[in-house]
Amino acid sequence: METMRAQELHSFYGKSPVIQGVSFDLEPGEFLALLGRNGVGKTTLLKSLMGLTDGCTGGLVFGESNLLSLSTSQRAKLGIAYIPQGREIIPGFTVRENILMGTFARVDGRREIPEYLFEMFPILREFIGRKGGDLSGGQQQQLAIARALAMDPKILILDEPTEGIQPNIVKQIEEAIIRLNRERGLGIILVEQNVPFARRACDRFMVLDKGRVVVSGHSKDLTDSVVEKHLTF
Amino acid sequence: MDVILNQLFAGLSMASILLMIALGLAIIYGAMGVINLAHGEFVMLGAYATWALQTFAGINIILALPIVFVAVALVGWIIEKVIVQRLYHRPLDTILATWGIGIILQQVVRLSVGAESRFVKGPDLLSGNTQFGGLIMSNYRLFVIAFSIAVLAATWVLMTRTEFGMRLRAVIQNRGISECYGIEANKVFSLTFAYGAGLAGIAGALITPLFSTIPTMGTGLVVDAFLVVIVGGLGSLLGAASAAVLIGEATALFSMLLNDTLGRIAVLAGIIVLIRFRPRGLFPAKTRH
Repeated sequence: METMRAQELHSFYGKSPVIQGVSFDLEPGEFLALLGRNGVGKTTLLKSLMGLTDGCTGGLVFGESNLLSLSTSQRAKLGIAYIPQGREIIPGFTVRENILMGTFARVDGRREIPEYLFEMFPILREFIGRKGGDLSGGQQQQLAIARALAMDPKILILDEPTEGIQPNIVKQIEEAIIRLNRERGLGIILVEQNVPFARRACDRFMVLDKGRVVVSGHSKDLTDSVVEKHLTF
Repeated sequence: MDVILNQLFAGLSMASILLMIALGLAIIYGAMGVINLAHGEFVMLGAYATWALQTFAGINIILALPIVFVAVALVGWIIEKVIVQRLYHRPLDTILATWGIGIILQQVVRLSVGAESRFVKGPDLLSGNTQFGGLIMSNYRLFVIAFSIAVLAATWVLMTRTEFGMRLRAVIQNRGISECYGIEANKVFSLTFAYGAGLAGIAGALITPLFSTIPTMGTGLVVDAFLVVIVGGLGSLLGAASAAVLIGEATALFSMLLNDTLGRIAVLAGIIVLIRFRPRGLFPAKTRH
């Protein structure tokens, strides 16, 4: 299994550096929570990992691979699955097609949908033939996670997976994320506003402000005073 | 009555060739948003390739079809890789660039092959006629109609039932997320452009026995194909097919009732009226967002 290592990462939109020197390590199977107020660069950092910003400098490796020299689709094929904010499932595709799309990032070329996805999110089996755009927000989020898992990833990158979702499904999604990490050994990078969930789920956390890491540590270090200082408005 | 039937039949065979040209245009526009003004020249290249295969290698049209498809698709693929791909974020410039490419292709053929009209013989196998009462249908035109229906069906299968089609539809709907799931959008676009060009090449091959093969032959055809795409509605295979039939038949009928020039005017006037009332065409794609 590979370690993801970012060193002095800078990331740009046009000429303005949004991420200004972020470094972190993600060991195999580790759970990293990325916290911070709105607009501090959390989403941009995740996008930088996938190569979706205008440019990146610094160091970013995954195992032996230098991610900065790879295209987005090549990064995906290394086993890095990205679930963006707003889910971005394909509305015109059926649930089945959306999940199948995840398998396009598999290097072994297999095209079947793993059975455990339906055990985790039974609603997807029920709605397998419906258009993705017809699902509710929570169901779309489950679909987005299933699509990511269909590629059999090593790392799951999630951007606010419970934002704007009805509470009963939030619980289900949170449990699924924790189980994927604990039982299936998936490395996880999670952007989250819900601090109690982040504290319960993560091994380590990192708080971002103005494109820089202002505090980081193990989950037990995510104390109320840290929250008070960096995360309340 | 027989005159009308025969005219309708001729119109239908012209419509099927228009359909193949329009399909390529519509696919390229639908996928990449590129209005390919060199498309008529792909038709012309297909026609000249067919002529060359027949003249120098003795290969008849039917056997030439797959070769022409691959050859013109390859030309399209190279043009996409070298020029069009660099302009996807500048859609207006693609119009100018493809127009220029079209002129270059025309002049290259004019300089190398010559400006005079070339003749291609229809295949012997399809030389006769099939008669139904007063309706006399040339076997070759029947073949063209059947072939274009098969091309339409194959395109539909390619777009809706294959993994390539799924990748293309994914990229059209959300390019960024498609790349996050291992789809290389550039590769998909190159192949799509090549497929559209290949279809134009086939249309060019099939049209050779019915139409004079000259370097500028594509210009008029591509105008008609654009009309088909606009009338049919973007992104709809069904729309393209029905619009091709409509325009092919209307042209044939008006030309018979009036004359070629007035017929042309009548068709264009009809299209203007139609677009006034259905600006997105007959069957616009609904699921764009």
